[in-house]
Amino acid sequence: MNGKLILALPSKGRLMEQCNAALAGAGLSVVRNGPARGYKGEIEGWPGIEVNFVSSSEIAQLLRTGAAHLGITGEDLIRESIADAEERVRFVAPLGFGFADVVVAVPACWLDVQRMADLEQMSLLFRRVHERRVRVATKYMNLTRCFFAQAGVTGYRIVESLGATEGAPAAGLAELIVDITTTGATLKANGLKVLDDGVILKSQANLVASLAAGWSPGLASIKAQIAARFAGAAKGAAR
Amino acid sequence: MSTTAATTADMGALDGLAQRLVAAFTRSGYERVEPAIIQPADLFLDVVGEALRARTYVFTDPDGAELCLRPDLTVPTCRLHLERHSDPGTPARYCYSASAFRYQPAGVDRVHPREFHQAGIESFAAPDREGDDAAVLALIVAALSEAGLGKLEIRIGDLGLFAALIQALPMPERWRTRLKHQFWRPEAFRAELLRLTSGATQATGLPHDLIGRIDPADPAGAEAMVLEHLDRAGCELIGTRKLAEIAARLIDEAADLREEPLPAQTAALIESYVAVKAPARAAVDRLAQLGRSRGVDLSAGLDAFARRLDRIEAAGIDIAGAAFSAEFGRDLEYYTGFVFEIIAPGLDSRSPVAGGGRYDGLLSEVWTPRPVPAVGASIHTERLLAALQEAAP
Repeated sequence: MNGKLILALPSKGRLMEQCNAALAGAGLSVVRNGPARGYKGEIEGWPGIEVNFVSSSEIAQLLRTGAAHLGITGEDLIRESIADAEERVRFVAPLGFGFADVVVAVPACWLDVQRMADLEQMSLLFRRVHERRVRVATKYMNLTRCFFAQAGVTGYRIVESLGATEGAPAAGLAELIVDITTTGATLKANGLKVLDDGVILKSQANLVASLAAGWSPGLASIKAQIAARFAGAAKGAAR
Repeated sequence: MSTTAATTADMGALDGLAQRLVAAFTRSGYERVEPAIIQPADLFLDVVGEALRARTYVFTDPDGAELCLRPDLTVPTCRLHLERHSDPGTPARYCYSASAFRYQPAGVDRVHPREFHQAGIESFAAPDREGDDAAVLALIVAALSEAGLGKLEIRIGDLGLFAALIQALPMPERWRTRLKHQFWRPEAFRAELLRLTSGATQATGLPHDLIGRIDPADPAGAEAMVLEHLDRAGCELIGTRKLAEIAARLIDEAADLREEPLPAQTAALIESYVAVKAPARAAVDRLAQLGRSRGVDLSAGLDAFARRLDRIEAAGIDIAGAAFSAEFGRDLEYYTGFVFEIIAPGLDSRSPVAGGGRYDGLLSEVWTPRPVPAVGASIHTERLLAALQEAAP
């Protein structure tokens, strides 16, 4: 590394736009270096910071290994890709966008399943009738496994789903899903309901610091200043 | 010393150990087999569930098939047995010394390598269950001692005793199924007991008015009511579960609503049973007494337990003082009867050097129409080596 603070930001999509807006709100203006689609950048007036634009799922990996000092990404992605998140990263500031709940959703017609405990009961009968385990479609394999274990639900299998997860039950690819939702409208449109105790995580975009990265006193001071900027912006927004 | 790769000296020592163990097994009539390292992931996940997936190296090949590096040798040996015998009830005894692979969430060290060796035996369809349980334990102990491990501590349990207890207690069959199912999860088990004793089906969020109207004796009527309820809510029937399955669960709820709650005394007996920890012989008396004090006859299960102890003693193993725990085996879902672990001095008691048990339900859960008696055990060769090195400074 070149002694600079590496800040990892989403490289595209809605999250990138919201991220730029949040940074601008905190008085931090991001500029990309070189060609318009370059993956490096900087923040005007902050020569000690180097910006890396990467896909939002990779940001968690960079923070986990310490290849980035700071990053902005969803708490769901951090907790999904870093099993021991509390020991690898610090959540510095919630940023007030990218809201999404990671939830357990089942077909609304399952009148017999309203809570996680019901799920375990129904999985018993399901296995007898269908001679296999109940399938859960999700891209959040780790979050699902931890949450189901805590809830004492074991009679299931995960099938990995990388898109349009909410359609899996109707398509017969899985019996239920774990997915993100903001308003619940998409779930409802697909004939699904969220279990009463099925909210795994209320997530939003966060400024996250890596504990594995090398933190010189100089870099720690830059981090503190950035955190203060975001705290100030949040206070301003609340006013 | 490297924690990720064995040194050359260790590799030689491991090989030597493995050979000695397998020689002991084959001498006793166990045929050596070498199941495939790469196994269909499906199978393991269906048998052992997601808890083991978190510790299994699962991958997808270019054809899109989900495969895994075998996390143990028991399931692959079951597959091999079924491939060889069109009648799975054909008695057969196998042994192996082979590598298995597990992710170690707390980090890799000498007794928790991600790639390790299991030297073990599996016996299928032997007619005398207790005798075969004893033979498997005796052979593992003999192999360990032949390999140089003189001192060891044996811990035992018997999941069949719990099943016998639940069978002996008066309650609806569906409650028995539930309690047996939840036995593996102490917290859920306690919650289920509480639910059954308090008769609390309230506050579960299920449609009470509907459940209240359902007559458990009339499944067709229940289905019609469920359908009508869904229609009124504008809710379509989607997915693989059929109307009858949803109705069946609500019928169970309706039946629970009409059932007398489980007597608190019965729940207390179950809890006292689960808490029993005693030396093996003393445990038999303790459990018999516990049953008698509540007018429950546990003799069938206890006789089998005592007979097994006799057979183990006849094989020359001092088992009377082995630590028995009624809870032991609670985290190993596929075992159905006798379970044991062997602890070596100098090693953490949570890192047993060998372990095994009876799994009569495993084959029928995945492959066969009828249960096939099966018992097996394996030695963790790296841990055995570590224990021997501890013992000889």
